[in-house]
Amino acid sequence: MRPESAAGDSVAGLPRRDFLKVGVGFSIALTLGTAIVGCSDSAKAPVQGFAFLHPGDVELFSALAPAVVLELANFDEAKRKLVVGDMLRVIDGTLAAMALGSQKEVRKLLDLLAIAPLRYVLTGVGAWNEAGVEKMQAFIERWRGSRFGTLNAGGNVLVKLSATSFYLLPVSWPSAGYPGPLAYAFNAINS
Amino acid sequence: MAIPDIYTEGIASGWKVIDGATLRAPQTLEADVAIIGSGAGGGVAAEILSLAGLKVVLLEEGALRTSASFKDMDELRAMSQLYQEAGARATSDGAIAVLQGRSVGGSTTVNWTSSFRTPPLTLKHWAEQHEVVGHSVDDMKPWFEKMEQRLNVALWEAPNANNHVLKRGCEKLGWEAHAIPRNVKGCWNTGYCGFGCPVNAKQSMLVSTIPVALQNGATLVHRVRVRQLQHANGQVSGATGEALRNDGLTPSGVTLTIKARHFIAAGGAINTPALLLRSGAPDPHERLGRHTLIHPVVLSLAQMPEQIDPFYGAPQSIASDHFQWLNGAAGPMGYKLEVPPIFPGIGAGVLNTFGKALQQEAAALPHTSAVLALLRDGFVEQSPGGRVRLADDGSPMLDYDLSDYVWEGVKRAYLSMVELQFAAGAQRVRTAHVDASYQTSWDAARRQIEALPMQKFRATLFTAHLMGGCAMSQNPKRGVVDSRGRHHQLGNLSVMDGSVFPTSIGANPQLSIFGLTAQNATALGKELRG
Repeated sequence: MRPESAAGDSVAGLPRRDFLKVGVGFSIALTLGTAIVGCSDSAKAPVQGFAFLHPGDVELFSALAPAVVLELANFDEAKRKLVVGDMLRVIDGTLAAMALGSQKEVRKLLDLLAIAPLRYVLTGVGAWNEAGVEKMQAFIERWRGSRFGTLNAGGNVLVKLSATSFYLLPVSWPSAGYPGPLAYAFNAINS
Repeated sequence: MAIPDIYTEGIASGWKVIDGATLRAPQTLEADVAIIGSGAGGGVAAEILSLAGLKVVLLEEGALRTSASFKDMDELRAMSQLYQEAGARATSDGAIAVLQGRSVGGSTTVNWTSSFRTPPLTLKHWAEQHEVVGHSVDDMKPWFEKMEQRLNVALWEAPNANNHVLKRGCEKLGWEAHAIPRNVKGCWNTGYCGFGCPVNAKQSMLVSTIPVALQNGATLVHRVRVRQLQHANGQVSGATGEALRNDGLTPSGVTLTIKARHFIAAGGAINTPALLLRSGAPDPHERLGRHTLIHPVVLSLAQMPEQIDPFYGAPQSIASDHFQWLNGAAGPMGYKLEVPPIFPGIGAGVLNTFGKALQQEAAALPHTSAVLALLRDGFVEQSPGGRVRLADDGSPMLDYDLSDYVWEGVKRAYLSMVELQFAAGAQRVRTAHVDASYQTSWDAARRQIEALPMQKFRATLFTAHLMGGCAMSQNPKRGVVDSRGRHHQLGNLSVMDGSVFPTSIGANPQLSIFGLTAQNATALGKELRG
């Protein structure tokens, strides 16, 4: 069996018994969260130019991007903003193309993380834009190391969306040792 | 050197191709045969029935994408335009990623060209255990030969470095290994099969059977989602579809009505059961959408001393069946070993790491080789497969759980792959599992695998092969269709795709679908010509 550790199974320093209340599934926690906090209508609509991502989701993925993809630190700020913008568009396009069943699950996860008190309990992060790389990595590490499949699933989907959205972009190719489309063929076909 | 675009030329010469996104008013289409889905099953059926002189309409939910748009050889474009759910399709719990095509040609437009005949033990198992008739090795031989000839299937004898790792490992260990037959003609050996072949060398349905069907008067309608079959008194009376907008996802509000003497469902093992479920097709024995098989795939990653460039060259050319039939068709789970190509995007999904680990592993990609195991599911009771059901909007969801029996197979597959990679000279190896780390010796890796939790979301799981859910059997209590693909309760409905398989195949399934469809569509054509 995987080694059990207190660190791996607690969130934001909370012991496991408190964590259990939200570990049984996102749905219950979400119902609870929205009942406590509520959500403004503008926060529930896609950002202008996006089909799926709400304002809070954009903040989350913008904070996750440099934590998942360290390469972003090698770009100057202007370039980094452009690349993160492209990553967000890839993530949005992917989520918009998902079938309803998957969309609902992802939406539950993102809505849950958009509720500040629940976010803090579940991830140890107060505001996404203030978290920084180490705190975001610690959040993902805890979720993926948790004994709760729901959190493992959430951690995996956030990592996968963030990582693939970068490595699907040509800007990633030098950092993956990929020279790009096989040159002789590409040149022949496109000449 | 410009590559001629088959469709630009064909449409100019009068092919009947309708893009649903351009429709502004309701349409009614009439045909002898309406085929829903243009992949391995629908493509072959369209050619055979058109050549038999029948009027065919071929309906495809995805868009028509042709070599003109494959010229960029770009992974992001391919993922977003050629795959179901932009490459993000997954089982309902998100635990297993599903790679499945979604454009004219279906998965044949994006698959890696491996073309195996249905293994003899699989055919024997169907006859003995599932009351399937007419598909013995001898029965199928002429149909496989026909399709192999039609699609130029031949052994590929020049493995790239990635496939050579598998070959070398098997040779060192004395394990069975063989060259893979591929359906290519004039292949440039670039490795871009998964993004749509830019030189029309892959003999997908897109460039082979569908053009012949169109030359013979068939009508192709793409970007149309068939919602329902109407039926009464054991007959399908018509089908209704919704045209999709340019995004290929949202309905435009324009409806299509399709009238035909005979209907063929060929949307693959997720979309075909979903269509029949939405249609309320009779299912007196509760077989519809049940026993869905996926060849669960697990992987192991190796860093090699030599340059691999796992993105270049024919993606699959070597396979090993050493662990596939150790106990015949039943017994502990068998698996086939192959390699996947690794481009940066899909590679990031396989690595499933972040931060420092992702950065280092991505940078090592040119020296990375991966081996995958296709687990042969559905042959014993302990491997019941999954189930297709519907979301609120009628879209499909696939439930798939891994039993202890399957996890035991996963563990053995990990062990085999890692042993093989070290035998082939790997410096460091790790399984694609969240809790695994790189090990530098076979012994250390073996100990790590023994301790890995065999759980969803910890093991990284994929599938690219969807089968079952409309299984064939002569016994209506055991199958949705008979051995010829005819629906047991609806007289003028056939199913011709991977969903008719009573078990998984035990090899990449495209040639199994081609051969079986050729046989069944030929019989259907004769019957309809009467």
